[in-house]
Amino acid sequence: MNDIIIKLLWTLLGLFIVLNWGMLMGASMRKIVARVAHRRGIPIYQPWLDLIKLYAKRTSISHGVMFYLGPVFRLGGGVGIFLFLPLIYGSEYWSNFSWAGDLVLILYFQFFGMLGMALGAGEGGHPNSVIGITRGLSQFTTVEIPLTLAVISLALQYNTLSITEIVAAQQGGVQNWTLFTNPVATVAGMLSLLGALRHAPFNLVKAPNEVPIGPPTEYHSAFLGVLRTNGAVLHVVEAALFMNLFFGGATNWAEFIIKTFLIYFWSVFVGVVHPRFRIEQSVVWFLKIPLAIGVLAVILYI
Amino acid sequence: MVGPIYIIAIALGLAFLLGFFKKLNANIAQTFMMAGVGAMSFISVQWLFGHLAGMVTETVTYTAGFKPPFSISLQMGAMEAGVTSMINIFGFLGGVYLWRKLKEMGLNAIIIYMVTLMGLNVIVLTRDLFNLFVFLEVSTIGIVGLILLERGVNTISSGFKYLVAGGVISSFMLIGTIMIYKYAGSLYINDIITSNIAATKGGMVALFLLLIAVILELKPFPANGWALDVYESANSGISAFLSAGFATAMLFVLYKLMPMFPIEWQAMVAVVGGITFIGANLLGIRQKNAQRLLGYSSAGQMGLLTAVIGLSSYLNEQFIFILVTILLGHYLAKAGLFWLAGIVKEKEINSWSLLRREPLLVVLFGVFILTLLGMPPFPSFFGKWELIMKLAAGGQTTWILAILIGSFLEAVYLFKWFGYVLKGENEGLPVLQIKPEKIISPVVFATVSVMAGYYAGSLLGETNFAFYIPLMFIAAIGLLEFLPAFVKNTFAIAGMGYLAYTTLPGLFETDLLRFIFMGIFILGGILTLFAGYYYKGKRQGFYPSALIMFAGLAGIIQAETLLQFFFSWELMTIGSYFLIIRGKRSMTHGFSYMLFSLAGAYAILAAFGMVDAQVGNMLSALGGVTSHATLIFALLAIGFMTKTATLGLHIWLPGAHAEAESDVSPMVSAILLKAGVFGLLLTFFGMGAESAGNSSILYVLGWLGAITALVGNLAASFQEDAKRLLAYSSIGQLGYILFAYAMATQLGWIGGFLYVINHFAFKAILFLTIGAVVLRVKTHNMYEMGGLIKRMPLAFIAALIGIIALSGVPPLSGFAGKWFFYNAVILKGWYFQGAVVFFAGVIAFLYSYRILQTVFLGQLKDEHRHVKEIPLTFLIPIYILVIGIMIFSMYTHWVLEPITQYLTAYFPSDPVHWDGAAATTSLGYWNGTWVMYIIGIMFVLILGWLLWLNAKATKVKQFNMVFSGERPFTPETTHMAHNMYAGYNKALGFITAPGITTFWNKVAEFVTDAAGFIRRIYTGNGQTYAFHIVAYIVIIYFMIF
Amino acid sequence: MENIGLENIALFSGLILSLVGLWGLLTQKNIIKMIVGFALLDTGIHLIMIAVGYVKNSTAPIIGEGVTKANAADVIADPIPQALVLTAIVIGLGITALMLAYAVKMHQKKKSLDINHYKDLKW
Repeated sequence: MNDIIIKLLWTLLGLFIVLNWGMLMGASMRKIVARVAHRRGIPIYQPWLDLIKLYAKRTSISHGVMFYLGPVFRLGGGVGIFLFLPLIYGSEYWSNFSWAGDLVLILYFQFFGMLGMALGAGEGGHPNSVIGITRGLSQFTTVEIPLTLAVISLALQYNTLSITEIVAAQQGGVQNWTLFTNPVATVAGMLSLLGALRHAPFNLVKAPNEVPIGPPTEYHSAFLGVLRTNGAVLHVVEAALFMNLFFGGATNWAEFIIKTFLIYFWSVFVGVVHPRFRIEQSVVWFLKIPLAIGVLAVILYI
Repeated sequence: MVGPIYIIAIALGLAFLLGFFKKLNANIAQTFMMAGVGAMSFISVQWLFGHLAGMVTETVTYTAGFKPPFSISLQMGAMEAGVTSMINIFGFLGGVYLWRKLKEMGLNAIIIYMVTLMGLNVIVLTRDLFNLFVFLEVSTIGIVGLILLERGVNTISSGFKYLVAGGVISSFMLIGTIMIYKYAGSLYINDIITSNIAATKGGMVALFLLLIAVILELKPFPANGWALDVYESANSGISAFLSAGFATAMLFVLYKLMPMFPIEWQAMVAVVGGITFIGANLLGIRQKNAQRLLGYSSAGQMGLLTAVIGLSSYLNEQFIFILVTILLGHYLAKAGLFWLAGIVKEKEINSWSLLRREPLLVVLFGVFILTLLGMPPFPSFFGKWELIMKLAAGGQTTWILAILIGSFLEAVYLFKWFGYVLKGENEGLPVLQIKPEKIISPVVFATVSVMAGYYAGSLLGETNFAFYIPLMFIAAIGLLEFLPAFVKNTFAIAGMGYLAYTTLPGLFETDLLRFIFMGIFILGGILTLFAGYYYKGKRQGFYPSALIMFAGLAGIIQAETLLQFFFSWELMTIGSYFLIIRGKRSMTHGFSYMLFSLAGAYAILAAFGMVDAQVGNMLSALGGVTSHATLIFALLAIGFMTKTATLGLHIWLPGAHAEAESDVSPMVSAILLKAGVFGLLLTFFGMGAESAGNSSILYVLGWLGAITALVGNLAASFQEDAKRLLAYSSIGQLGYILFAYAMATQLGWIGGFLYVINHFAFKAILFLTIGAVVLRVKTHNMYEMGGLIKRMPLAFIAALIGIIALSGVPPLSGFAGKWFFYNAVILKGWYFQGAVVFFAGVIAFLYSYRILQTVFLGQLKDEHRHVKEIPLTFLIPIYILVIGIMIFSMYTHWVLEPITQYLTAYFPSDPVHWDGAAATTSLGYWNGTWVMYIIGIMFVLILGWLLWLNAKATKVKQFNMVFSGERPFTPETTHMAHNMYAGYNKALGFITAPGITTFWNKVAEFVTDAAGFIRRIYTGNGQTYAFHIVAYIVIIYFMIF
Repeated sequence: MENIGLENIALFSGLILSLVGLWGLLTQKNIIKMIVGFALLDTGIHLIMIAVGYVKNSTAPIIGEGVTKANAADVIADPIPQALVLTAIVIGLGITALMLAYAVKMHQKKKSLDINHYKDLKW
């Protein structure tokens, strides 16, 4: 019993670190984007201010039960991935609950939040929410393909679907990283990541100009706070997932922070220099070069 | 025993006597006639029973005190007794049917009727060739006389054509007869048989002329236009006479004379019959006139029987059984259908929807159509089965193919007709007037057909009785049709419960595979039947149909022999056809369902034939097949895939499932599709995947499954109709299942079982829920719904759970399927197929979201503001299933661990290890129970946190939202639902372009066009018909000599 | 002439006659002419039947005038074809009569005896 409580405490601590790191990372990315566009940008502590404000709001409105549950699903999705993902290699406590399921669990748990959020926003009744969601789901279908092929390639390479074992196999120096042992799969995965993180050119989903930021339009106050919280957590754990798969994982928090930052930065970097795709363009784009690279990644390991 | 000579004596005597009393009251005359025909029937039937009971042996009656060849002799063997019984009983019932007409036409008609009947009796009984000729002419003259019962110009001209053609044929017959006499020196058939006159050229020609004349009397394609006109235009009672009486007698003549002909000619006879069977049925497809259609069918059936006679050397000891059962089927069905045609009085088959005004007539029609097609439980089913088995044993693959093609073509028009009867528009048609004397005869024949089916089945030595208990139960329910629906529903559920009680525990002990499927069939059946309590009134026809389907489903599980399996398989097809076609706009869908099902069933039949020829008739012996194993494997797979609606064979499914009634959709989707899966599993389990041929087929099936999943899911995402969306989703899900089983590894099959159970549960939930919603909101279109969560929260929760289980999101059971798939795919090495399947899995989110969003979320429509929650009778089964899914998700290992052990017998490698809820493979690990706990606890914590933060959230009204400063008050324009995935459709919609539907339509078009082109040989000109006959003789002559 | 034989003449003319009859039945458009064709065909066949039963130098199969029960089998022509022909003639008569009756009925209905006018039922 004690064990479980200690475990829970460590997990909560991890969540706290990830959340704060996520907000910091998000703020710095926004800053970078602003500077590229010759703007001053937000102060670096802006996310904390936003979050406190949102949680502290005393009035809020609800469109119904599913509307209420939407953010719960969404945050549950983010935190769930966090729970099932081993963060720091070699640390029993920072491996969270990853013993309950492997990589496949994480891949499919991503949908938990998406689906719940989609339904919640749907009950809000705003047509733009639905447009945003349909675009998001549409794009996500093909984004997943290169990632799936990359995962199959990794499973063939390391003969396992356990993230911990995949990380373990990459220990012992940079040359053992998947990046170098299986560069094709890494490229496929990283291209997929661009779509998953939805920066330009794949950001029609939350296109600020056309649809007033999609599903979150109807959410505000604590609801939006929960969504923001999730955003911070989710970005970090997604980056951490790719870190574990392709970049040797992390053996300590410093390594964790550097690597996740760089992985996340990759999508921002691409985003600031590219215009936006229409949805049918982005859907088809993933079925071209990324798909071919993914197929190649598997062929190399047959 | 009363001698057969008295048959003739009674008929002739009465005819003569009646002739003397011209002024006799028609009623009295007719009573005499009926008494006479009754006596004739009695004589034949007593001989028949004598033979069946073994009390008498073959008896020959000699006339004029001499022995043949110096006199005419009549032989009364078992066959003769049977055939004369058929003719005389038909004569009696036909007389009843024609009572009014004969009375109206007066004494002469009555006399002709009796003489014609007598002529047919003599044709059957006589052993003298010339006597045969004489009485054939007597019967022909009689028939042509009876044609004049109707006095329309078409009837008269068709009678004349008949006479001309008959005259030409009898000329040849006469020449043949006299030449045979010249060469054999005798007219006694037995002498001719032993005389070997075929040794000389002249004798050969003589025999040929006789044979071809007899064949021509059987109306072979294409020299049969003269008969078709008569079938079309004569009084339906006379057409029945021609088809059931005359043709039966002529067929017996062919049978009787066959020993006279050289053995090499049998092939010719068979080919002539085969061509007729296919040709006549092909041309029937374009036919719209009911009686003419029956004429084509009659010619086709005679062709089949001719072929059977020609193929007798392959059929061995079963020859007589096959001949008699198929003949009986033809005789009962054709007489019955012609009689019905006389009741309906509508020429066009699409006006036969009139029958629906009188349910009894629909039942009769159904019995006759199914009898004609050789569907269980009717006698011709067993005949066709034995025919195929024996042909397979003789290695006659081409013949099997020909017979199945002919049967299929026949099914095409018969089921089109059936569709009109069951679903055609019947507004504005005249009132149906049924005279009592016209209904008795069809009722008797339908009853005989059912009993004969039972008798035929038991002759094959099957443990028949067990298979008839459900049928008797169904018949009993059928007799209770007058009761209100809820009473019948209770009976039906009780019956299913009894079935569960008697079968499930035993199966659990012995065979897990069958236990799982039986569980799905029975429990699913009970749950979906429960929803039927919603329906008021009598719900006519529903319970017999549903129970026939369930009896078939239970039967395929319990079947031990190939025949039992096929019997049940066809039974299930029939029942489900009736269920599907009950939907409002289901006529075409029911039709295409039936055609695909039948084509599949015939593929299975052909495969079973080859299996039976090698290893006998036990289902468990499938594995022993050695030769043609790959072909058999492929045929079985194709056959079963018509039921699982694999891509290419799927086009019937969306319409059939979508248009079905609210509680029928889950039956045919969640339950019925599993029958195809079960069949596939039997094949895979039985025949194994080891051989190179099978494994390459499995490889193809794997891709096929993956692509089916992709296309099915994609098409589902683009539907506007909620039930169609679910229907396409079923296609996709069955694609996964096919893919899983095609992998033929333990992990793949565990995944397959998981999908089978999961799909059953969530598809039943979703179809029940959406079906119930449709009942409430009266539309299928999702863009006309919306916001229903406010009115039907319970329905929404159920749908949500169903969708989560469907989509594979943890923690519900769908995820377990994905997990096993990943492991199986990688270990099997099917990476790209796997990638396609996973891609399809992601696409499933599109339609999952679509159905939840557009039905339950978004904007509530004004007209739905007061709509009620879905009915309790639906909610109860839905929530039982929801609880089931939750338990299954939490404790997946309770089910999967035994399955793993069960499969270990087939896959000794045992790649998955279970430790409680934790499953481990060489690749990964997963603990369903813990995932559930973790996610559950986390969810509750976050919810609690949000509630604490946000407890007093104000409920706002529907249109209180940010909308560019405007307040939209029209839900229709604010509900984003129509063409929901426009962008995606632009990108990938081309994949769902209806290429396959177009392909099948082209095929159908080609066949009907071909039929339309070929049938123009029937120009309507009597001389052309006579010319056909002469040309036919010449062509066949040159082919033989 | 002697070696051609009466039976051959009968056979040959019977064949010709029946072919002519068949030709008429198949080509004449007038229904009455068709029936005549049928009658010719029938008669031709009867001739053929007689020819088949003919035995050279035999006498009629009637007992008396040199034909006794004892030697009947040797001296008489086969009586059966003759009996058959009688029956066949009767049947032919019946059919011809029926055809004519039909022709009358058809003419009553349509005032035409052209077989081409009775093609309403087809395909």
